[in-house]
Amino acid sequence: MKYFFFHLMSWPHLPADFDAKYDSAWIWTPNTLYDPVKGHELYREYINTLAYAEELGFDGVCVNEHHQNAYGLMPSPNVIAGALTQRTQKMKIAVIGNALPLYNPPLRVAEEFAMLDVMSNGRLMAGMVIGGGPEYFSYQIEPTTAREKFREALDLIVKAWTTPGPFTWHSKHYFFQYVNPWPTPMQKPHPPIWIPGVGSLETIEFVAQRRYAYMGVPYFHIDVFRKVFAQFREACEKAGYKAHPEQMGWGVPIYVAETDKQAREEFEPGLWYFVKNLLKGIGLTPPGYTSAKSAAAILKNQNYFLYKQETWDDIENGVFAIVGSPETVRQKLERYQKELGVGVVLTGCQVGALPHHLARKSMELLAREVLPHTRMS
Amino acid sequence: MFNFLQKLYYGARVYLNKGGGQSETVEIAGKSTVIISGGEGEPFVYLHSALGESMMWFPFFAGFANKFRVIAPTHPGFGKSGGFDDVADIEDMAFHYIEMFDALGLEQIHLGGVSLGGWIAAEIAVRWPERVKKLWIADAPGVWVDGTPLGDLFRLMQNREKLRELLFFDPHGAMASLVIKDQPDEQMMLYAYQAMTVLARMVWQRPYDPKLARRLHRIACPTLLLWGDHDKLVPPAYGEEYKKHIRGAEMRLIKDCGHLPMFEAESEFVEAISAFCSA
Repeated sequence: MKYFFFHLMSWPHLPADFDAKYDSAWIWTPNTLYDPVKGHELYREYINTLAYAEELGFDGVCVNEHHQNAYGLMPSPNVIAGALTQRTQKMKIAVIGNALPLYNPPLRVAEEFAMLDVMSNGRLMAGMVIGGGPEYFSYQIEPTTAREKFREALDLIVKAWTTPGPFTWHSKHYFFQYVNPWPTPMQKPHPPIWIPGVGSLETIEFVAQRRYAYMGVPYFHIDVFRKVFAQFREACEKAGYKAHPEQMGWGVPIYVAETDKQAREEFEPGLWYFVKNLLKGIGLTPPGYTSAKSAAAILKNQNYFLYKQETWDDIENGVFAIVGSPETVRQKLERYQKELGVGVVLTGCQVGALPHHLARKSMELLAREVLPHTRMS
Repeated sequence: MFNFLQKLYYGARVYLNKGGGQSETVEIAGKSTVIISGGEGEPFVYLHSALGESMMWFPFFAGFANKFRVIAPTHPGFGKSGGFDDVADIEDMAFHYIEMFDALGLEQIHLGGVSLGGWIAAEIAVRWPERVKKLWIADAPGVWVDGTPLGDLFRLMQNREKLRELLFFDPHGAMASLVIKDQPDEQMMLYAYQAMTVLARMVWQRPYDPKLARRLHRIACPTLLLWGDHDKLVPPAYGEEYKKHIRGAEMRLIKDCGHLPMFEAESEFVEAISAFCSA
């Protein structure tokens, strides 16, 4: 079992009346709410926490890309990953991911990921993603061809890593006379490819066919994950092989404190800050970004998304987060990781406005009193 | 009470008009295209807005059909028309329609449209000016006016009330809730999603054609620019911009009207365009 510390780098300083005053934390939320002086402190602290994960024995960390929002302050996760290559020695650095249709040319991703892989001496997990709906507003990227561009760019990047250059590339959306990136990646044939997903069958089947790894993005009801990983295993069978547990990652916020009661008291305010403020607007999807059928399914499944939850019971019953004493977290983690059959857990240890010292304390308890037990189960 | 009557009145007319248009599907260069038509006289091609109003024979069509042979195609990707994969941009729309005119044997036509349709009409007229006898453009994007941003339909599309405010002079009137229904059925929602998808493909990256303004001088026929004076999606400044580039174009504002004059000011819309095309 592998544990990756999943970080969003959320903005914790939104005003108390944010929910009442603003319709979204994305795209058009005025950036006058951002403060670079506080931002400097925040990056320093967040990067320190990510590096600390290695000291504590986490297998790796996850960073990810979001634009023009308060939810995640890594418009370029590669910049943070670059810093981490110099702060850490052993752990994996998973960038999940770069939103390929947002890069023109997408060869930029082949280059930057190769840089990270070489700088880290082969510790990169190369995450590639279509990108959430709001990113298509923020970058004004035409959404109706997003999926085509994603597939083409992914094929181009993999070919750029595995075929000696220069070669010529032609596809519907991209043409290059000379594909010949310097550097090439350290890992052969290429860094492991992780694809984050939110449950669309199309993505599940694609990842299974390519034998990549499917990372279930956090913030969904446990029933969604049950269905997703069952579908993934089935898709692998259909593709003629048995799914490897490490092809399946489950994202879930985890918080550990001395007692169950204390854990909830310390964690809950930061979680609701996240739910009420930062998730607001995340679901805005441009037309054509999915098929009409998928768009209808997304609307129908909204109640399984964290944003729709209102009480602590909702959180507990849907396993939207695992919160409690080391014993409680141990039991729950063991139960669900086994039930889901995953080999990777993306642990959201720093959610919303959780104070840094509490995040660190929870990570320490998780690493010392929980993971040694659950790792082997 | 008046609102109710007006609603009933319009609704009844829509109902009575249901049998009014002849609907057929024609194959245009591999794209199956639904065309609704009616009336006799000189050919009059109506290009619809992103609402896809040519899927039904609305009363304004009947109005035009009193004088003209009305031909109202459904754009590729909308409703039951196919061909979405073959239209990458607004120019592909223009080529689709010139092929339709050829297929139907339409040499010279009265051409016009509302919003998206008006823009397509302009793109056709700059390429094949000799095919257009009279051109009318209503509440259409296509050019860019610095300092006058377009409304953001995509931001508001899931909020019916805000959508009505964006599109109508009177967002609380009967017509606004007839056009933007509170509880659309599944088929309507599917068509709406398809429509917004086609629109996104046309306008997302850039909600105008940077080449259009410098081509507009090629338009050789009389041109009428018709705009709702309260159009918040494509403000009247856009009509003025078209006027700047089209020789002799006439700009006319419709009072107390938003983005959709064919619904919100039906009789004025029909009369203005019919008179212009008959003159």
